[in-house]
Order: sequence, then structure tokens, then C-alpha cells
Amino acid sequence: MTPSLVIFYVLAALLIGFSLVVVTARNLFRGALALTSALGVMAGLFALLGGDFLAAGQLLIYVGGVMVLLIFVIMFVQTPEIFRARQTNKRWIPSLALAATLIAVFVQIFRKFNVPTEALAAPTPTSAALGRLLLGDLVVPFEVISLILLAALVGALVFGLEIER
Amino acid sequence: MFEIGPYLIEGITFLRSWLELHGATPLQAMIASKVLETTVTISIILAIPLFLVYAERKISAFMQARLGPMHTGPWGLLQTPADTLKLLFKEDIVPQGADRVVHLLAVILAAAPTFVCFAPVPFGKGWPLINLDTGILFVFAISGISTLGILAAGWGSANKFSMLGGIRGAAQMVSYEIPRALSVVPVVLFYSSLNLQTIAVAQTPLWHGWLPKWFIFYPVIGQVAFLLFLTASVAETNRVPFDIPEAESELVSGYHTEYSGMKFAFFFLAEYVYVFLSSALAVTLFFGGADGPAFLPSWIWFLAKTGAIVFCFLWFRWTFPRLRVDRLMQFCWQFLLPVALVNIVLAALWIFWKAS
Repeated sequence: MTPSLVIFYVLAALLIGFSLVVVTARNLFRGALALTSALGVMAGLFALLGGDFLAAGQLLIYVGGVMVLLIFVIMFVQTPEIFRARQTNKRWIPSLALAATLIAVFVQIFRKFNVPTEALAAPTPTSAALGRLLLGDLVVPFEVISLILLAALVGALVFGLEIER
Repeated sequence: MFEIGPYLIEGITFLRSWLELHGATPLQAMIASKVLETTVTISIILAIPLFLVYAERKISAFMQARLGPMHTGPWGLLQTPADTLKLLFKEDIVPQGADRVVHLLAVILAAAPTFVCFAPVPFGKGWPLINLDTGILFVFAISGISTLGILAAGWGSANKFSMLGGIRGAAQMVSYEIPRALSVVPVVLFYSSLNLQTIAVAQTPLWHGWLPKWFIFYPVIGQVAFLLFLTASVAETNRVPFDIPEAESELVSGYHTEYSGMKFAFFFLAEYVYVFLSSALAVTLFFGGADGPAFLPSWIWFLAKTGAIVFCFLWFRWTFPRLRVDRLMQFCWQFLLPVALVNIVLAALWIFWKAS
């Protein structure tokens, strides 16, 4: 076992553990914290693959931004149900079957089409190359994506407007 | 002159080769040396609040024509160690009905990222322990985790003041993170790197043989970027005039109302370490890092400049009144953000004009 493999298994175990807490925790706030941790562990996985910019971006946007806002909203809409939300409903048996099927399908896929990835000897910095790609070859898709975000922003404003009648 | 950085590197290399001579594998030797490096860094960081708390008390006292702590040791120098001992011995109280796990986790979430943030900061020659290519982005990303600590503290205390403080803190920190990150973009554009070491070194040449080529000396762009960064950093560290998350007159003490003993001390530590970190970042980005005349070693230059900016933080705290919540948000979104965006455009135009 190489050190990076050890780190990978530790991170993977943490990721699975946190994800299980997300779906099983009855306390919504704890679930949100576990989701945050899971997203943080994802950043660790990205860093392990040599994506240093991606890892930092993941932490900055998901942990420091999205999850903070999500927890913020949870704090605003406190109701007693938040502390003892039911984790199952009547259709949990079919859902379990569906999930099991999905897992089986994924296992089969990765058995048949296993593309071995080569381990990086030493991760090279990616931010400069990323910058060149985003403002060079990929500038059009990049700008289109920002347009979608802009549309979402304007949409949020429109829904948030107080309409006077 | 006496440079610490090269000695430190030499010592760590020596330790590694010594360990390998005595039967350790290269991997074990590397882990041992990394543990040592981290321990050294963490010890330095833990010492920062000790000095800053004393400085804050004395400076505030002088600004208000008082003497400040005088009785414990000469000029009250032992006051902070005495306070630390007191905090260590205090009972750790968890309020009834509070979420015990989240209550504890909040402290960890608020204090732990502070130690990681110092990894890429260049304190002087041979200093950045990890020469991270994503430097500045890394620091912003990691320090953003502390916001979660404030939210968790607000939630886990089962107290309405804590809750309000947590909500206010999250709103403020998420908002001010944006102008803070945008104010750094001109620096990144000029030196085309996110690496803090590269940015600091790029500022060492001189203009006309006498003015150092620090970013702050670029007309308009440099000063505006620095002021934006400083303002947003004060807000990010929750200090007066942006301290509505812990406003004493409204919220007792906000998100850390229900904390005592060492848990409270860790919130305190996080605040002071972030003040120091913001100053260190400002020095690296706008004041040439450890650059300075050679009669003093580089780390002393770095600490002196950082100390000057830390003084600004303390100065603001004791001279400005607190902002109202809505004014605070208005200031961020309607003033800081547009100015930061205009500044980025100006910087881009400057670079375009230079290139053509």
C-alpha cells in the first residue's frame, strides 16, 4: 500500500460515513454539518488526484459558500420537526430495492469497463493552465455558463420582488 | 544578518538524513520532519494572541488616556499569561438543552482552520513551509470554514442571543468574503500568479532606483485594492466597526455567549489569529512581503510591517462606532462590491495598455 492509497481509503471511508450521517441523522442541523464535512472530504479527494485549484475551489464554494447559506436557511426556518425529522416513509422498501439495483449496476459497470488511472508522480500546479483554458479555448462555453448563472440571479431577484398591487 | 528560514530548512534536512541514517525509511523520515515543521508553525501561531491581547489592552488604554494592565508583572506584562491560566482552570459549562456535539464542534470548526491558513504564508527568506501554487485561494478557502464554526456556535448553544449572533455572523462573513476576494484580483492579474511567495518576490525591484515596486504604490489601483482588502478583512474578523455578530449592547456577546473556559479562549484565539493572518496577507500582497533594506533580516521586516497593519486593526476598533445591520449590508453590496469590480476593470485596462 502506497501512502496515497492509504490516504485515499481513509478519505473514502470518511466520505461514506459522513454521507450515511446525512441521510440517517434525525437532527437536520447535524445532517447539514455532515453534508458539509462530506463536501470537504471531496476536496481532499480532488487534492489527492492533483487538482489543487479544484480542491481549493470546492472548499471555497461548497463549504464556505453553499453550505453556509444552507445552514443559514435552516436556522431561519426552525420548527420542532427539524429536530426529529422522520427518515423513512411508506415506500422505503421499493426505494431500497432501487438503490440496491443501482449499486449492482455500478459494480458491474466498473468491473467490465475498468480504466486504470495512473498515479501522478508529483502533482503539477494546475491553476495557470486552467486560466489559459478558461479564457482561451473554452472561453465561449465558460461565458455561456456564466450567462446561466446570471439568469438564475435575475430570476431570484424577480421572485424576491415585492409586487405592489 | 540572522535569517531564521535557511537555518530551519537546514535543520529539517539534517533531521531527515539523520533519521534515514538510523534506519528510518524515507517515508517515515518525511512524516517525522513534516510533523516537526507543523509543530513549529502551530507553536508560533499559538503565541500570536498572547501578544495581540496585550497590545490591544495597552493601545486601547492609551487611546482612552488610561494605563491599562499595570499590576501583574512590570507594566502588566504577565497579565495575558495570567488570563490564559485562569481560562485553563475555568469550568467548562454546556448549557442545558444545548446540542452537546455541535456545541463542541463549533469550537473546533472556528479554531482549527486558523492553523492551516499559515502554511503558504511567506514570513521571510526560506519560510513558506509549503510553496502552494494556489496560495491565496487556499487561504481564502480554508478561512471560509470558520464561518461554519460561528453558525454551529449559534445553533449549538440553545440561546436566542447566540442564534442571532450566528445568523448575523454568517450573513456578514459570506457577504464580505466577496469584496475581499475581488480586491485581491488586481494583484493576481498584475503578477499573474496565485502563489504568495511569487507575488511577494515579484515586488522586490525598485522604481527609478528608490521607490520599492510594492503593489500599494501603483497609482489608484494599488491604494483602492488595499483599502478594500483592509475594510473587508476587518469585517471578516468580526471586529468593530463591523462587530454586529457579537455586539455587546444588543446580543450579550453574540455567538460565544454560552462558552466558558478554554472553549471561549479558542474563539478568542481564532479572532486574533485571523487579525494577524489578514495583516500578513496584506503585507504579502501590497507591501512586498519580507522585502526591505538588508540591515535587518527579512523575517523582522515582515513582522514589523504586519505589526503596523495589526495596529490599524486595533486603532479602528477603538475609534469607530458600530454599524447598524442594514447599513452594514448596504455598505458591502452597494459600495465595496461595485468599487472592487471597477478596480478590476482598471487593472485589466492598465495591463492591456502596458502590453500593447
